[in-house]
Amino acid sequence: MKDKQFMFATIALIIGGMLAIQFETTNNPITRDTRDLWELRADLEKEKQRQQELNEELQRYSELLNKYKTEGKDEKIEAMEKALADLKKQAGLTTVSGQGIVMTIEPFNDELIGVDRPQPQIDPDMLRRLVNELNRYDAREISIDGQRIVSKTPIREVNGNIYINNEPVSTFPIEIKVLAKNNEKLHQKIIASLAVEEFIREDFLVESAPAEKVILPAFDEEVKVKFMKPAKEET
Amino acid sequence: MWLPVLGLLLGLLLGFMSDIRVPPEYSNYLSIAVLAALDTLFGGIRAHLQGSFEDKVFITGFFFNILLAAGLAYLGVHLGIDLYLAAIFAFGVRLFNNIAVIRRLLISKWSDSRKKA
Repeated sequence: MKDKQFMFATIALIIGGMLAIQFETTNNPITRDTRDLWELRADLEKEKQRQQELNEELQRYSELLNKYKTEGKDEKIEAMEKALADLKKQAGLTTVSGQGIVMTIEPFNDELIGVDRPQPQIDPDMLRRLVNELNRYDAREISIDGQRIVSKTPIREVNGNIYINNEPVSTFPIEIKVLAKNNEKLHQKIIASLAVEEFIREDFLVESAPAEKVILPAFDEEVKVKFMKPAKEET
Repeated sequence: MWLPVLGLLLGLLLGFMSDIRVPPEYSNYLSIAVLAALDTLFGGIRAHLQGSFEDKVFITGFFFNILLAAGLAYLGVHLGIDLYLAAIFAFGVRLFNNIAVIRRLLISKWSDSRKKA
């Protein structure tokens, strides 16, 4: 009787092992790493960069923490206010100014495109692409037609009108102001960019000029926060 | 009674802990082998309940069924016929039969013991 039990147990053990291995295999199958030497190098470089960024961030926050810890109450509030101001600036809730470029977009005049051609229409995708390219060329802050572009800014088309931050874009020319550290370089790059080429293909004239002082308005709407919750205070 | 269950749990635990994974091209064979093993296990339980259990038949059946099923699948792959379907069908039907018989036996045992009480 005992023998039989042991036999069953052994068989059950084997079956259990097989089942578990099968589960493992079907749920997370082995994926082969097919990256070649260059891709691996590039990935390694990326990870190193990331590590450095994270280290810098860590250092910044630990400095801030030290500041909070060592300073008195008033200074603590001051430091917090400074942090709040910094964050507001980062979120685009303040007016900023500095050197940058000013771009204008308007339709080519009738003589250039022919009288019988319909008025060209701006597609929101074109504007989005332009914003993306500006960001790619190290633009710091962007505003389109007096609307500050923040990370949550919607660019939409409603009934043939472009809406940015839920405000309709007024008539042509549309003015885009961009802050950049190196405005000359940004100007050169954006004027030769694919996004601008796209505008020209759609019969728009795009002009850009570097400027010493550009003033960008603040993002004046309420920032709706959907997916964040206040963290619980640690005691 | 509890020893086999313990064995099964231990096997599952070992399997999950060991992190062994089969290459995807062989996972078919393993799944058929698992089916064959389950069939043998339930066949053994049924034979035990019916009182016709024999160790040799059980042990040889276990390994032979697994090998046969995997071998059939292998042959099928090389012949271009889905022969593993035959194994799945056969083992599937037998599995259901065995479980049905086990159920009936357990029910009759239970009702007998109630009558006695």
